[in-house]
Amino acid sequence: MTAGTTLEARELYRFYRAGDEETHALRGTSVAVDAGEVVVVTGPSGAGKSTLLACLGGLDEPDAGTVFLNGVRLSHRPEQERAAARARGIGVLFQSGNLLPHLTVTGNVQLVQRLVRGGARQRPADVLHAVGLETRGHARPGELSGGESARAGLAVALANGPRVILADEPTGELDATTEAGVLELLRAEADRGCAIVIASHSPAVAAAGDRVIRLELGRIVGEARP
Amino acid sequence: MLTLTWIRGLTGMRAGRLAGATVGIAIAVALLAALGSFLGSSRATMTTRSVQQVAVDWQVEVQPGTPAASVMRAVNADPRVSRAMPVGYATTTGLQATAGGTTLTTGAGKVLGLPASYATTFPGEIRFLTGSRDGVLLAQQTAANLHAAPGDRISLGRAGLPPVTVRVDGIVDLPQADSLFQTVGAPVGAQPTAPPDNVVLMPQDRWHQVFDPVAKARPDQVRAQVHARTRHNLPPDPAAAYAVVTGAAHNLEARLAGGGLVGDNLAATLDSARQDASYAQLLFLFLGVPGAVLAGLLTGIVTASGADRRRAEQALLRARGANSSQLLRLAVAEAVLVGVVGSAAGLGIAALVGRLAFGSAAFGSTAGASTVWAAVSVAIGLLVAIATVAWPARRDLRASTVMAARQPVALRRRPRWMRYGLDIWLLVAFGLAFWATSSNGYQLVLAPEGVPTISVSYWAFAAPALLWAGAGLLAWRLVDLLLREGRPVLSVALRPLAGPLSGTVAATMSRQRRLLARTVVLVMLAVAFAASTATFDATFRQQAEVDAQLTNGADVTVTAPPTATTSPARASTLAAIPGVAKVGALQHRYAYIGPDLQDLYGIDPHTLGRQVRLQDAYFAGGTAKDLLGRLARQPDAILVSAETVHDYQLHPGDLIRLRLVEARTHRQLVVPFHYVGVVKEFPTAPKDSFFVTNASYVARRTGNPVVGEFLLTTDGTPPTTVAQRVRSTLGPNAQVSDIQTTRAVVGSSLTAVDLSGLTKVELSFAIVLAASATGLLLLLGFAERRRTFALLRAIGARPNQLAALVRSEVSLVAVLGAVLGAAAGWGLAAVLVAELAGVFDPPPDSLAVPWRYLAVVAFIGLICTIAAGVRAVSTARRPALEVLRDL
Amino acid sequence: MTATDGGRDLVRCVEVARTYGRGAAAVVAIHAMSCVVPPAARVAVTGPSGSGKSTLLHLLAGLDRPSAGTIEWPGLGGDPVDRPGTVGFVFQGPSLLPPLDVSENVELPLLLAGFAASEARERSSQALAMVDAVELAGRLPEELSGGQAQRVAVARVLACRPRLILADEPTGQLDAGHRDQVVRALIESAAHLGASLVVATHDVAVANQLSTQWQMRDGRLTCAEEPARVPHQAFYPVSDPGESC
Repeated sequence: MTAGTTLEARELYRFYRAGDEETHALRGTSVAVDAGEVVVVTGPSGAGKSTLLACLGGLDEPDAGTVFLNGVRLSHRPEQERAAARARGIGVLFQSGNLLPHLTVTGNVQLVQRLVRGGARQRPADVLHAVGLETRGHARPGELSGGESARAGLAVALANGPRVILADEPTGELDATTEAGVLELLRAEADRGCAIVIASHSPAVAAAGDRVIRLELGRIVGEARP
Repeated sequence: MLTLTWIRGLTGMRAGRLAGATVGIAIAVALLAALGSFLGSSRATMTTRSVQQVAVDWQVEVQPGTPAASVMRAVNADPRVSRAMPVGYATTTGLQATAGGTTLTTGAGKVLGLPASYATTFPGEIRFLTGSRDGVLLAQQTAANLHAAPGDRISLGRAGLPPVTVRVDGIVDLPQADSLFQTVGAPVGAQPTAPPDNVVLMPQDRWHQVFDPVAKARPDQVRAQVHARTRHNLPPDPAAAYAVVTGAAHNLEARLAGGGLVGDNLAATLDSARQDASYAQLLFLFLGVPGAVLAGLLTGIVTASGADRRRAEQALLRARGANSSQLLRLAVAEAVLVGVVGSAAGLGIAALVGRLAFGSAAFGSTAGASTVWAAVSVAIGLLVAIATVAWPARRDLRASTVMAARQPVALRRRPRWMRYGLDIWLLVAFGLAFWATSSNGYQLVLAPEGVPTISVSYWAFAAPALLWAGAGLLAWRLVDLLLREGRPVLSVALRPLAGPLSGTVAATMSRQRRLLARTVVLVMLAVAFAASTATFDATFRQQAEVDAQLTNGADVTVTAPPTATTSPARASTLAAIPGVAKVGALQHRYAYIGPDLQDLYGIDPHTLGRQVRLQDAYFAGGTAKDLLGRLARQPDAILVSAETVHDYQLHPGDLIRLRLVEARTHRQLVVPFHYVGVVKEFPTAPKDSFFVTNASYVARRTGNPVVGEFLLTTDGTPPTTVAQRVRSTLGPNAQVSDIQTTRAVVGSSLTAVDLSGLTKVELSFAIVLAASATGLLLLLGFAERRRTFALLRAIGARPNQLAALVRSEVSLVAVLGAVLGAAAGWGLAAVLVAELAGVFDPPPDSLAVPWRYLAVVAFIGLICTIAAGVRAVSTARRPALEVLRDL
Repeated sequence: MTATDGGRDLVRCVEVARTYGRGAAAVVAIHAMSCVVPPAARVAVTGPSGSGKSTLLHLLAGLDRPSAGTIEWPGLGGDPVDRPGTVGFVFQGPSLLPPLDVSENVELPLLLAGFAASEARERSSQALAMVDAVELAGRLPEELSGGQAQRVAVARVLACRPRLILADEPTGQLDAGHRDQVVRALIESAAHLGASLVVATHDVAVANQLSTQWQMRDGRLTCAEEPARVPHQAFYPVSDPGESC
């Protein structure tokens, strides 16, 4: 592990069983992400991109292999401890459904901030300002446009100032202009020192990464620096 | 702060769903609290009502060697006593009267010496029938035995002294003779089985003249009692009142220091009242709890319809780092919000209902009881909220990772209870419990006389509860089976409703059978609740009516004075009175069997069945028709009470020789009868032993056709009105009673549990539950499939095709729910009636089915069903754009 | 490729506008716009999210009504809502009915249109064969991958043999491989049926496979471009689209 490595996965294996069929989502996948680096994971659907991200974020437990966050083991620990690690250090961004529909945008940000006791935190208004949503704080998620929703989701992911951001198809439903805006915001976070992993099959996203990893059938089959 | 943000959001955006759950909890809490007010009010009236019937509260017997005056002083000094009077009891060796040259003699009897104002101080103890109200008064049966009338002279035999001759001034009835002649201080089993046959009442000074010499010579022949009336400021709950009264009586006995024993009639009456109170409590449990459980289940389903949304939100929060205690806190906050608001609303509704139905907003008979009731109801409301809102959340939290928590709950497997056959086991357990609790000798409520504790067998609750749960689950299994395996059948059955789409509709229903089965089962339980409650209640009322009927004999009963000679021809006079539909005549005599004197009723078996309503339960070993037929076939046939059959070892066909009074000679005459059957109850007959036989035979053998009682059936005119007309026709001598007045008076055991309030509450809640089960569940089901409807519309379904879809589903739910619910309701009612046989006197021949009420329930259910369907179709007519945009 | 029905246009929109909500809260999804879908057209509607693509497609399908202006369907003989089966719509997300299996899903619109069950079954298997999904017939939607589900959705549209196929972001949630499969199925089926095809997409790779491009922004048609390589394809906005692209 290099000095700057924030997030590292070693030899991850993950199987799913559905009825009689066994799916191997990850087969010995290893990856290390440095602070300030944007890594894009590409590959066809079913290649294991989402599973890799879930394991990296402690949302899922690998059947074998280990995940380290800032040099401390994250995997194979009680869910309570993984949750604490997520609350303080990991921001997760999904393709959709990032917001609780019954809270306003500000409420969503506030709620996530209140999950962590104490600690310095940004004012919700500042978080929203950072993603350019300062005027939409009182809106409900249902009233947002597609682009606004994506940025609001990002705001929630950034609410606690994470050191790691994991984004699963963050621009899947966005047109090129909005996609570029989101990528710009992510790049800004990387420049702040964040380690960022994006799973996507969009060429535009791949082009914006520092490193592109191609995943097929749970294995890394290629790595490139655009 | 976290919680506050969450709750603010929920109340803003999820108000509808929260309101749904809140309403469910409000219904449950309101039902429980309203039942609390029922229980409170019925207990409160129970003490008052039972106390009203007691003529003499305490009979303090002066013990030998103690001066009566000192006991009198002690009783008067008791703070509870409001009025006390000394009463002398003496034994006469026999009475003798001479009439028309014949001398009639009786066995031993009692002579009471009463103070002048006794009758006014203790109203209810003496009923004046004829003659003067002062002087020497003869009890009705004694007068009959001696053929004595006011003005006649009779002689009283005195032990060891010559008899004394007195002039009879009047004839009276002693309605409470049992307690009046009790053996004070003797245990229950040692009490005389019947009051003395011969009783004479005398003014006190005269009694002293006659019996003071006896007291000197034979002190065992004379006793003194102090009769006392107490202040009736008693706790409303009969059990508490019983404890107070018993304590006070013991206190008095202690102060008398062995000088007197207290015969506590008040406590004896309260003793049976507290038993009724226990029955009331059981009735509440049996009838009310299923409703509350059902409301809880409804709440659960309303809440469960948001479960997917809740699970997604929870997973999202977990992904953001929320730990399980934080998530649990949010879920509990939501549950508490729903629970508190729902409970408050429920208590409000209950207070309103209490005011309307019972005239009281309190939930119990006392402030303490009210608080307890309110607290219990609210606690249950909160429990329901926690169980339905927070519990599933906790279950989801057990998933070890966020990804696992995001997985949809696997619905493909059959539920565990179905695989293990829980429904069958429940029904088997029900069978066992029912067998155990309905077999002979099982006592639901055991209130040993004189002991302040009551044991109530709550085990009896097990049978209906098991049946309820077992039938519900079995219905679920059956619906599931029908939808899973019966797809071709369903497809054919739905053709009239869905036309060419019936196959598709059947396939849809088959794959959504979980949702449908759930809805059908809840509708079924709601229908069963309404049906069983209403049926039980109708049966209860029917039997209360029968009880009153039995006591009074008919709508209006005319009793001839004991000395009158009423010809059967009087019947035509009575039949001519407006409002009288039918007249039946009863010969009322007394007959000796061995040393026992029993009432004998002579009837015309050919016509009586048409003139008077006779229940099968009156007789043993056959229906009313069967036994009247036996009498009709054989002139000397006689029906005998079971006790007599046992005492005299009788077998059908046995010859019985009874001694009856011959009309002309007034001598005892031996008349042979043949025993053909057992009679348990008969209009106007006493509760103990009596005979029923052919009037014509008795008239022929005794040369006396005189009729004792006429039983009048009205044509719908209120019995009180008819009774008034009869009184004015027959004059003041005739004794006329009507069923309405009797019903109010009888209100002792059975009708003491005033069900009308409970009924109103239960039946209205049943309607609310049936309506919400059908309407709400269907609407929820359709709301969950808004997307499906939008899709169907988008791929070319016309509104009438959507309507066919909705119609099919609504019909399935309504038909299955109604049929299964009716079956379960009938079964439950039958079980309840069997289990609560103790509240019925006499036990019912059959269940009374309140068709009108059930029709109302069915109608309201149907309206809600149709409304839900219409609403679903109208919302689906235009595909919801916000749904379309998500596609 | 020749136009059927005497070459009558399938849809004509004249000054059509669609506004959601009222008063100050009103959101204009489409400003007065006019366009025509001719027979055998292959149209890609592109533009950023929120530009009104979906609303336009809903209007073309008759699923939504314009707030102003008129829409006519001369080539279809009337409002498609009254003529089930004339217009087929492929949605972006999962649009199969979950309780029905694949063949039942494909048969459903035919049954709704009044076809006999036997004919519906036959057409359904033909349609499934066209999108190469015969082996999926007995499966439930939840057992399908995203690409498979989308192909079945296309088959459901084909089974009705519509004159006009509308697809709203049909490949939005698919990766490249599945995307190409679905687009190929759409184009081939349209050719097979002689139907017109209108696809709303923000995916350039998808749009490039269609001969005509309509670009939308803020509820307005900003540019209509007919690729030169398909010279015989007709496209003519009735009104001038304004600025060129």
